[in-house]
Amino acid sequence: MNELVSRLGLGSRSWLRWGLPAMLIILLYLVPQIGGSGSFRLGEYEEVLSFLVIAVALNIAMGYAGQYILGITAVFAAGAYGAILVAKYDPHAVGLLAMLVIGGAVGAAGGMIVGLPALRVGGFYLALVSLFAALAIPTVAQEWGFVGADTGIPLYAVAGFSPKITGELLFAVVVTLVLLTTLFSWLLVHSRVGHRFVALHTSEQLASSIGITSYRTKLLAILISSAIAGAAGGIYVYTQQFFAPGSSSVQFAVLLLAGMVIGGTGTITGPLIGCAIILGINQFFTSFQQYNGIVFGVLLLGFAIFLPNGLLARLSVVGDRLGINPARMPGTRPGRAAFGGAAASGSTAPPPASPAVLAANGSTAPAAGPPRGAGPARLPAWPPVIGADDASPLIVEGARRSFGGVTAVDDVDLTVNRGQIHGLIGSNGSGKTTLLNLISRFYSLDAGEIRIGSHRLDNRPPYAVARAGVARTFQSPKLMLRQTAVENVVPAVELRVRCLGVESVLRLPRGIRVNRQARDEALVVLEALGLQHILAQEANALPHGTRRLVELARAIALRPSFILLDEPAAGLSPTELELLTEVCQNLARSGVGVLLIEHNVPMVLSIADTVTCLHQGKRLFQGTPAELRADAAVASVFLGIDEPLETPS
Amino acid sequence: MTLFLTALFAGLAVGSVYGLIALSYTVVFNSTAIFNIAQGDLMMAGVLTSYFCLDRWHLPQIVTLLVIIAVVEALSLIEERVAVRPFIRRPSTTLGWFIATLAFSLVLETVASIIYGQNPVVPIPGALGNGTFVIAGVHVATKFILAFVVMVVVMIALEIFYKRSWLGTAMRGVAEDREVAALRGIDGLRISRLAFLIAGLVTALAAFVVAPIVSADVTVGLTYALKGFIALSVGGFGSLRGCVIGGLLLGVAEQMFDLYINSNYEILAGLILVLLVLAVRPTGLFGTRAVREV
Repeated sequence: MNELVSRLGLGSRSWLRWGLPAMLIILLYLVPQIGGSGSFRLGEYEEVLSFLVIAVALNIAMGYAGQYILGITAVFAAGAYGAILVAKYDPHAVGLLAMLVIGGAVGAAGGMIVGLPALRVGGFYLALVSLFAALAIPTVAQEWGFVGADTGIPLYAVAGFSPKITGELLFAVVVTLVLLTTLFSWLLVHSRVGHRFVALHTSEQLASSIGITSYRTKLLAILISSAIAGAAGGIYVYTQQFFAPGSSSVQFAVLLLAGMVIGGTGTITGPLIGCAIILGINQFFTSFQQYNGIVFGVLLLGFAIFLPNGLLARLSVVGDRLGINPARMPGTRPGRAAFGGAAASGSTAPPPASPAVLAANGSTAPAAGPPRGAGPARLPAWPPVIGADDASPLIVEGARRSFGGVTAVDDVDLTVNRGQIHGLIGSNGSGKTTLLNLISRFYSLDAGEIRIGSHRLDNRPPYAVARAGVARTFQSPKLMLRQTAVENVVPAVELRVRCLGVESVLRLPRGIRVNRQARDEALVVLEALGLQHILAQEANALPHGTRRLVELARAIALRPSFILLDEPAAGLSPTELELLTEVCQNLARSGVGVLLIEHNVPMVLSIADTVTCLHQGKRLFQGTPAELRADAAVASVFLGIDEPLETPS
Repeated sequence: MTLFLTALFAGLAVGSVYGLIALSYTVVFNSTAIFNIAQGDLMMAGVLTSYFCLDRWHLPQIVTLLVIIAVVEALSLIEERVAVRPFIRRPSTTLGWFIATLAFSLVLETVASIIYGQNPVVPIPGALGNGTFVIAGVHVATKFILAFVVMVVVMIALEIFYKRSWLGTAMRGVAEDREVAALRGIDGLRISRLAFLIAGLVTALAAFVVAPIVSADVTVGLTYALKGFIALSVGGFGSLRGCVIGGLLLGVAEQMFDLYINSNYEILAGLILVLLVLAVRPTGLFGTRAVREV
């Protein structure tokens, strides 16, 4: 309830936040009363509205999932042809609903034909292949008698086709469809599926580090987007009762793109507003249509360079200044904070790891390790959830990887035991990060083996490593910068709280419960790391050290069996460093195996159970911190002296 | 057999143009990691120039070639400055640069069609006249032979440039790692401008040889841009030879499609070809490395 109150923003002037859209929606329904309601005019409005549905579809794929299916008009055309052909041959049976379904299905199939191969390469390949499809469909249709060739299919001339919904009612229905699509896109974006899209958009490595399957997730984005664009084809055909090759050109695809970018990709309403402006100009100001390409091209270029987030982002900055938006600042969202606090105290925090856990994984007795903060732990325990039933260690055996002539990792063996901290040190370029990337499968091994117990990891894709219970952080933190701290952690929790995507999107009972649970658990971890004051702040507003902690929280929230930390201490303040040390110890105490890459050697030596030292890709040393201090080879390589750091006493 | 050979030679000629566009993409991509979709419309700007020089003003061929080069190079420099450079120093988490080059392409095309106006598409005379050669018993137009020869020469010249010259190595180095290249004293911005100049030269040559083949149709820039991309992805990203082979394959595939299936649906040949190659061998026939993550 608090959440609701704060979201509606019942403070000061923030009622404008929902009042304005409400007024706009009412205005939208009243367009025929204002702009004329002749059947020709209505048809024109409905045409633009069906295009807006494509804009929403494109925004899901491009704005949120980062998949540039620019030639989405190809999918639209496929859906429209599908719907109109069925209507032509069975005019009595086909109504609006049937057209939506047929259009959606044909569109989805079309999207897959383009997406399945093009996504294997990714990046701009999808953009170009889909644009080529957008070019090909009208060109082929122009010559193909079955689809009416150049003149197209006039459905209004087909005997027996009489739409049940007409006139202003039809207009209202189409407006409602646009609004429903928009609502769907909001629900989608704020669901576990949408979280995956945004993570993938930010960085594929980030996504796979929290177990997101990149190819399948991209395909899903394309599938949803294509189905909606195909359904838009159905709307077009039902309202225009006509489809021809000229109804969807590749230039039209560029026009839609311009509208989206100008309005603001990656916002819910931006593309609608942008496309309404662009398409409206194109539709209703036909006198200078031949110059439109210049105007829109220059606008598109200008926005891409100077306002890549579009008009709406600009507006929301202005809105912040006027106090219209509920600002994403600490304290101004009491609902959320209180919610989090309650969750923290009432959560099902598991009891601290019992000695039995530590004993069970067969590790050396904790007593042999360095002292670990005596007295009660300040941090809650984070016992492994993923892969918890398998207490085997993470084993790297004979790992080798070369880049060109350089062997970055050369025959390295290493074992990370559950419940222990394994330090990995070595100078720059000694192969530490490469080794870590080999474990998380961002690189593949030239030789050797990586496994948990007997479960091989080295032949699995990167996401499977996370799903096997191995979390990691990155040397330079990878965060979703336009998302809040909480939103950055939530997708990690969602990997292990299972529920169907559709339940989460449509807010079915289990979906609601799981969505809330993910949020609660994310809050608990963040608060344990002392981040309660920045929960609702966007990541790009956070200082470096805090970003590291948020990333650490994300890795912990996965509740892994093993955690790989890549120079987590770099750039931390002394307080943060202390916290990091405690976190590492707490993780080990909870039964997690920690692989800690660090240049801060004193810190590593003070908390590690075992230390491996790499030098030019090879393992120079492996043993306890005490043995390291006494090792002559390490001293000679790192200090250029012949005696060890400490003579063994 | 004659039909087959005629189609084959026509395919090689059109394929040479696709190959040239693919080469110009590669030159830009190799030093900027940017895929410049406007390359097709830059070529159409060259074709339009060719139409004005030869058909309206009756200038000699060699002067025409120089004017085309001047126009295309000027436009390339403008594009580099306004649409590409703003993105070079940004972290490319988005495909903003792709949108920018597409927008530039849209502006070019609109301006070109306004300049050309409602005039009917007219043929443009070829540099070597309208004669034919007889190869294997088939008459082959000189304009076809010229296209093929120019492409082969350009590819060899580029290969030598990249392999043998310091500048060529520097250009590849910048795409690999801009910062490290800067540390070695390589000015990334100058390199990017140079890449656009070289690509512009390749595009101008493509325009010169393609004008007699496509006539003065200024609306097909994006089509050629996309077909050049298909040549590139079929051949394999980053490989100069791949561009050439991919272009020729696409050209011949289109002509064979025309001959044996249906010339109305020629465009499907390219679509099917690219989808097949991506499904079977995503790196292309000659590609060794995957496209870098964007």
